[in-house]
Amino acid sequence: MSQAEGGVRALWKSKIKFAFLIPAVVWVLIFTIFPLIYSLRMSFFNIRIGQGDVFIGLTNFARVFTNEQARSAALVTLKIVVVAVAVELVLGLALAVLFNRVMPARGLLRTILTMPLFATPIAIGYLFFTIFYEEGGLINGLIPWKVPWLSDPGLAALSISMVDIWQWTPFCFLVFLAALQGLSDELYEAAMIEASSGWQIFRYITLPLIQPTIVIVLLLRLAEALKLFDIPFSLTGGGPGTATQVYSLFTYRTGLRFFDLGFASALSYVMLVVVMIIVSFFFRHLRQIYD
Amino acid sequence: MRNLGILVIAGFAILALALPVFAEQYVTWGKDGSCVLTTLDGEKIEFAPGELGTLFGPGKQPFKGKKIAITVNAAGPKGGICGPLYRFRPAWEELTGAKLDIVEIPFAEHYTKVMNDLRLGIGQYDGFMTGSFWYGDLVGGNYIIPVDDYIKDPRFPKWDPNSMPNSLRTLYSWGGKMYGVLNDADGQVLYYRKDILTDAKWREAFKKEYKYDLPVPPKTWDQVLDIAKFFNGKDWNKDGEPDSGIVLHPKVGEQGMFHFMSLSAPFVYLPGPKVDKAHNLYWFDPETMEPLINSPGHVKALEFLLELAKTGPKAQVGWSLGEAWDYFLRGKSIFVFSWGDVGALVQDTSRSKVKGKIGASILPGCYEVYDRSKGKFVKLDKPNIVGNTTGGSWHGVISRLSKNPDVVYSLLALHATKPVSLWNASRGWTGVDPGYKYQFLPPEGTANLKDYLAEGWSENDIREYLKAYHDNFYAEHVVTYLRIPGAFEYFTTLDQNLSAAMSGQLTPKAALDKTAKQWDEITDRLGRAQQLKLYQEAIGYKK
Repeated sequence: MSQAEGGVRALWKSKIKFAFLIPAVVWVLIFTIFPLIYSLRMSFFNIRIGQGDVFIGLTNFARVFTNEQARSAALVTLKIVVVAVAVELVLGLALAVLFNRVMPARGLLRTILTMPLFATPIAIGYLFFTIFYEEGGLINGLIPWKVPWLSDPGLAALSISMVDIWQWTPFCFLVFLAALQGLSDELYEAAMIEASSGWQIFRYITLPLIQPTIVIVLLLRLAEALKLFDIPFSLTGGGPGTATQVYSLFTYRTGLRFFDLGFASALSYVMLVVVMIIVSFFFRHLRQIYD
Repeated sequence: MRNLGILVIAGFAILALALPVFAEQYVTWGKDGSCVLTTLDGEKIEFAPGELGTLFGPGKQPFKGKKIAITVNAAGPKGGICGPLYRFRPAWEELTGAKLDIVEIPFAEHYTKVMNDLRLGIGQYDGFMTGSFWYGDLVGGNYIIPVDDYIKDPRFPKWDPNSMPNSLRTLYSWGGKMYGVLNDADGQVLYYRKDILTDAKWREAFKKEYKYDLPVPPKTWDQVLDIAKFFNGKDWNKDGEPDSGIVLHPKVGEQGMFHFMSLSAPFVYLPGPKVDKAHNLYWFDPETMEPLINSPGHVKALEFLLELAKTGPKAQVGWSLGEAWDYFLRGKSIFVFSWGDVGALVQDTSRSKVKGKIGASILPGCYEVYDRSKGKFVKLDKPNIVGNTTGGSWHGVISRLSKNPDVVYSLLALHATKPVSLWNASRGWTGVDPGYKYQFLPPEGTANLKDYLAEGWSENDIREYLKAYHDNFYAEHVVTYLRIPGAFEYFTTLDQNLSAAMSGQLTPKAALDKTAKQWDEITDRLGRAQQLKLYQEAIGYKK
């Protein structure tokens, strides 16, 4: 083999690895970057499918902040998410602590507990519609009062939070349990020698050690919960009135029901920015913890 | 071995002979040109000679090899509107030689998918079973084709647009051209418990309390309210639990706005000789597109609806059609005002306890109606009774993008023929509600009572039901229908704000003011001038 041939082969060897990346790059360009750029363009236009687009600058973004329904949807989302995520974290952690101990049928119970996680949210919405149904539904059938779960604005929002808690607490539980099981027994043995109470051990040893995990779980849940769509869509349809019309549901209706695609794109971008701010904030916090 | 060979050949021969028999089991031609079509369930529908047009006949399959796709609200092979397409598909395929793809799309997605197909020029579907409130978008966008020439064409199955009352024919047309092919007739009527309201014991008690004879049927909404209040909370059905006066279906996203439209019409719709700025209006000012939805008449109607709702179960705020209908069918409420489906469901004794016990009438009116020209309510000598065509009146239209409009029309026209239309109306479950002369009983129409009784209808119920629908569609005044582009968005915002009022989040005035503001925003976004032009066309306004 000549030197030149060897050089070509070496060059080919060093470049071939890039060839394998091409499908992934093409995939990302077509299905991520292009829609992102195209929807950004749309957000500056009044889109009338079949009738041409009209450039309107930042009007759609201004509408996000001035439109009463958009503001209401953002507020509704915030209320539902704050309640749901807070309870999921607390409940998930409590269950993880409980299951971290030796107890009978732990494996079976853990399996049962994680099952909601694998259910389809839209189906869960319809399932809980029958459970919350006010005339002869499961819950009202078991209690002596007729609680207006879905027809009272406040309770309807609470019902959605409850369903979200039912589905996502297992996720928090699983991650927290993994974190707890990764902690060294020696630390606890040392703490026991110091005769610390159970609460003190949890407060001053367990909690600080799993704090990075808590931040990660909080971050993931917040990012996911802010996109909440399926459960309100199937459980309440956003009602009564607009009491449970969450931001994603409003965006969906704006874009795909009313074909106001420019405004829907602007709504999506604002959501994207909000989620990015939240992620950045928590990542900074996480970095501080590790530092 | 030789015998086996003979057996196999014989088997194939029998199969070959049998196949055409199986393949042509849904159409039977008579020597005189008459025809019998067999539905998927084996029911036989007879057609007179020539009724199916000249295109079809023994041995003819004019559209062989062609295939069309029709969209319809998803309801399954035996569901409303969708079911008849399935029932007659084999017969139509055998008649034409073409194939029919029934594309079921959930109600919530149907409009979106159809408009995407049309606006993007995809042409995936050849026709649509549309709701009348889509017309502004469909005709405004030039997406569907008129069928006037087809109706006159002797090649196709025959149906008569003149059998439709004006109120319904208007919904199927635009600008003097017919776009829709006869099918469903939607409108809301008042259903009531005739057995209870005519009971001497209750009548006496009512008179004692309200100082007037209990009217059957009630002629005004105030009378409905009195009766509903009187019966609400009493165990009049003797099931050991308190029962209700009325049941509503105002759940958001489930057509609650249609309830309000029907009820509010007599408060708002001031009849006059022609459409002008004060008369025969409901939605917008015909010269400025200013929303009228927050007029004092509308506000009064919503206040009334809230008062009426108090005589029903509290949970109904979150109820859609199914739950509300079920409540009435279980004999838990005196009144429900709704679509034709209720009359048919009442006959199903597996879920209904009220078969043979109901009465039905055109929706009541009121003695005071708001007059825009005077800026105040005016009193009338007799109740302002206003009919309605509330709902979808779901029917077929042909996509301009279809490569086979003739094939699509042949399908829609078959379903519009008198024998199929009568078959649909008498079955009830088809979701194709009665509205045409030949579906009503004499003296209003020409239908045969026996046809309905054979399908299990109670004689009392069918007489009440058909009379109520006749009176509604042939009423002297029928409230105009919203058919401009964006109708779905206008309806949705109204629906949400009504639900907010019903659940106590907003006062009636605030809810309707908010609706008016949102409607103005929609109108501006869609183009006020264009919307105004189409609105004027839709309601027949001329200066």
